[in-house]
Amino acid sequence: MKFPLHIVSRLIISAIIMLTSTNSIMAQTESDSTVLRPVWSAYTLSSGSSHIADTYLSPIKYAGWTVGFGYNRLQSMKFSPERWIMQLRFNLDASCSKNQAKNTDIWYAGINFSWGMMYRWKLPYGLSAGVGGSAMIDLGCLYLSRNGNNPASAKAAATLNATGYITYKTHLWSLPITLRYQPTLPVIGAFFSPDYNELYYEIFLGNRSGLAHCAWFGNFFRLDNLLTADLNFGNTSLRIGYSANFHSTKVNDIVTHNYTHCAIVGISGEWISLNPNKRISPAAKIISATF
Amino acid sequence: MPDDFNNDAVGNFDSLWKTIDTRYCFFEEKDVDWNEIYSKYRPKVNNSMTSYQLFEVCSDMLAELRDGHTNLSSPFATSYYRQWWSDYPQNYDARIIQQYYFNFNYRSIGSFDYGILPENIAYIHYASFESGLGAGNIDYILSYFSNAQALIIDVRDNGGGSLTNVETLVNRFIDHEILAGYIVHKTGPGHNDFSEPYPYYITPIADGHYAWGKPVVVLTNRSTFSAANNFVSIMSSLPQVSVIGSTTGGGSGMPISYELPNGWGIRFSGSSILDSEGHITEFGVEPTEGCSIDMDPTDMASGHDTILDFAIDYIKSYH
Repeated sequence: MKFPLHIVSRLIISAIIMLTSTNSIMAQTESDSTVLRPVWSAYTLSSGSSHIADTYLSPIKYAGWTVGFGYNRLQSMKFSPERWIMQLRFNLDASCSKNQAKNTDIWYAGINFSWGMMYRWKLPYGLSAGVGGSAMIDLGCLYLSRNGNNPASAKAAATLNATGYITYKTHLWSLPITLRYQPTLPVIGAFFSPDYNELYYEIFLGNRSGLAHCAWFGNFFRLDNLLTADLNFGNTSLRIGYSANFHSTKVNDIVTHNYTHCAIVGISGEWISLNPNKRISPAAKIISATF
Repeated sequence: MPDDFNNDAVGNFDSLWKTIDTRYCFFEEKDVDWNEIYSKYRPKVNNSMTSYQLFEVCSDMLAELRDGHTNLSSPFATSYYRQWWSDYPQNYDARIIQQYYFNFNYRSIGSFDYGILPENIAYIHYASFESGLGAGNIDYILSYFSNAQALIIDVRDNGGGSLTNVETLVNRFIDHEILAGYIVHKTGPGHNDFSEPYPYYITPIADGHYAWGKPVVVLTNRSTFSAANNFVSIMSSLPQVSVIGSTTGGGSGMPISYELPNGWGIRFSGSSILDSEGHITEFGVEPTEGCSIDMDPTDMASGHDTILDFAIDYIKSYH
């Protein structure tokens, strides 16, 4: 994909506000480079339902609402920009759920960060697809205020994931739309769990044994599904979508569930950062993160 | 798996029974056959009974554990097992000490009431480990006591609180790191699924703060419970400390919280704290040999605290 220069100049203005991408891209898009690799970014807000269970805190299932903020960034890889892309994702989530008697709340707050690479193919009929892997760090905490010595359950996991995507570019009347689905499935890793009745007081006293566990499908299952539609109104797209995340663990006779279904809204777009003091080489080629 | 018991009388009863069955930590020490308990109480439950009736049956069932850390909390009541103290003499009347020993002239801060007795013996009554004092506060108190020949720490009627506050006080009476005890937690739903005892230690207060190296007497009664029981257990292992009064109320279980489908809360012992020799203190800490004593009603009527008088004489006999 090649952008006319007047479009590129408009993109410069947009790029200024994309602080998170500027530094890393500057070095990679100098005018004497033969390949320009714009960053495709999305900022989203999500809201939906939450279903939580954690038998360390309670034998009862909880249900309620969840909200979140997400940042998603794609860029072609420098070493093989036509075939490989990298993805960085960051999510902040919070939820509040009630027990079935509606007399207690359980609160959750968590952050999730992942970076990965995918090999991609351009397919016929506006389709493209990619498969790859990612490394993810997930941190969070559940808090149940009614409990005395066991009011909280910390969450921590580091995993290697299988992931992939498929996109379909089409039009809704004259409006360009990109539909995209991406599942992410942790395959192996490590995660934290206290022992069955072990209080955090004992952990704070120094008993660290048995807290870290190898994550595999038998004790750690997580499937994140993300379905989005980017409605292209120009340089920026309106993103709407749906996420369904299923996360469960079973270790030390403690069972946890955290299932969420969310509607998503946000903005997305492809941005490039250029040095205005240097000319773009006529031979420069822009390779988008999305075909 | 999370429970799928129905939110009716039978479902809530079964949920309670199962929670205790899989998570309570003192079945063996208390010689409780929990299956037999189920057979005893389950026939008393049916789905046509009221919440009040269900609460009574569940409370009676929990009382079979004979554990002061076990409670059932509903919107209209919280159950307590009280026999751990109600079957024994109280052995403490704060008014006697306040009036007849200090003429109401004593200092108070937080849960501490303190003063110096005419025999030049420092006295502290610590009412609850729920409330702690800062290091600076304790420095002021020990500084005030600096010329006293000994210290009496009265933890009668102290129902416990935070173990952190135990450490905050104990570290004034040691000059090297000590083994305070062990923690054992359940590792699974089986009645005998327990972790290896994990030792924990207490280090002396940092330099620059007041420490106490003179004799210490700790006064106890049956209402000395939970964290206060733990305090007595640790203090009794120190060479300069004597325990006078009656066997403490115990409560060495670390309570954890759970709930029933109807939203009622449960609290019960889920981990056990052992003393520095690895012994269970759930049933209390005994006084120093020869120092077990009850209050004499005749003494009380004449404004005397038998246990405090014994402690004063005990200290004087060693000086």
